[in-house]
Amino acid sequence: MPRSKGGLQSVTGAAYPDWEAIYRDNVTWVYRLMYSKVGNQADAEDLTAGVFMTALRPLRVTATVPEVRKYLRMTARTVLASYWGDRMGRQVTSIEEDVPEVIEPETVASDAPDKVGRLLQRLPDNYRRILELRFLQAFSVREAASQMGVSVANAKVLQFRALRMAAQSGEEATS
Amino acid sequence: MSNRTVRRFVEGLLRGQRTQHARPDDFEAEQMRTAIELRAARLGSDSPREDFVTDLHRRLAGEVEEAPAPGGTRRRVVIGTGLAAASAATGLVVGRNLLAPTVTQQATQPTQGELEPNAGTWRAVGASVDLPDGGALAFDLGSVNGFVHRTDTKLEAVSGVCTHQGCKLWLDAPESRLRCPCHSTSFSLEGNTVTHQLPVAPPPLPTFRVRENNGVIEVYAPTEPA
Repeated sequence: MPRSKGGLQSVTGAAYPDWEAIYRDNVTWVYRLMYSKVGNQADAEDLTAGVFMTALRPLRVTATVPEVRKYLRMTARTVLASYWGDRMGRQVTSIEEDVPEVIEPETVASDAPDKVGRLLQRLPDNYRRILELRFLQAFSVREAASQMGVSVANAKVLQFRALRMAAQSGEEATS
Repeated sequence: MSNRTVRRFVEGLLRGQRTQHARPDDFEAEQMRTAIELRAARLGSDSPREDFVTDLHRRLAGEVEEAPAPGGTRRRVVIGTGLAAASAATGLVVGRNLLAPTVTQQATQPTQGELEPNAGTWRAVGASVDLPDGGALAFDLGSVNGFVHRTDTKLEAVSGVCTHQGCKLWLDAPESRLRCPCHSTSFSLEGNTVTHQLPVAPPPLPTFRVRENNGVIEVYAPTEPA
């Protein structure tokens, strides 16, 4: 993108015609990003709304498509940080700042299933199974217990031990 | 099984509920993060609801109507420190309100016109030898000023006055740009708006009729008052 001094940019660069085009083109990946960071629909929707309500205001019409996306991502980062600060007093999850600009936003959260797959593979069979049933396949505790042939109380214990171990192994994998 | 903070969080998460307030320690937060990753990896659960997308669009459109029209002046944008940091990090100039009605953006759709004085004459602005191919010359005839340039042996001349608020442009020869000292607008030598930081792109520069006559470059300009 040809740019001149002083942060100006070419008006012939690919830009959005109006705010509606920005919204239509970016709402899905912003929502997906937020969902991957909070794991529930209601909060992901509120956070997505927060991003667009805040970001559309100061954006320049002439900002190029990559600039708009980068700006939305930075706004999402700030909005998510403030959300966790309020809910938990700390950053439970965060949005990384340094993402290569060539990446299409649609692919932003796409390494998540791989990461979860690797995480699960490190666990003992029954731990992996309970997490798969509960988190990935949406079974109730009762259904999961029946699938695994254990008591409900047992399934609950398994689930929380499995999560502890997954969290520990995730910590080790990243540190 | 003493970890009530994590249990409450996970139960809510698996029921699809909003995150409740809590004060987790490091390891509890790590478990929450793992739970979120697991939950978010569930297939088909990460697309936004159509109702939500439509509703948010409507809310944003409501903001559009409430936003006062900029009327040609730069809106003062008040933003929180967090966002200031975000915009600084991305190097964006904050100054244009996208939520302003789109009509104002279209009010001056640029078309490049030719300067046609009611009474004009051909007036010399320089010698042909002074203007090689790819070069540009500034001229000032009193009533009008501008720049003439030669590309592929063809001559073109444009006005030297910015179409935004009338400041005099200067020739940035190495960049082949005409630059406005007032608001950093720049134009190509052909007169097209190249960069600007204004709410609306200023129209392109008017052109002059230009010709070569016995080794002299002439532009068609208003006749000098007697």
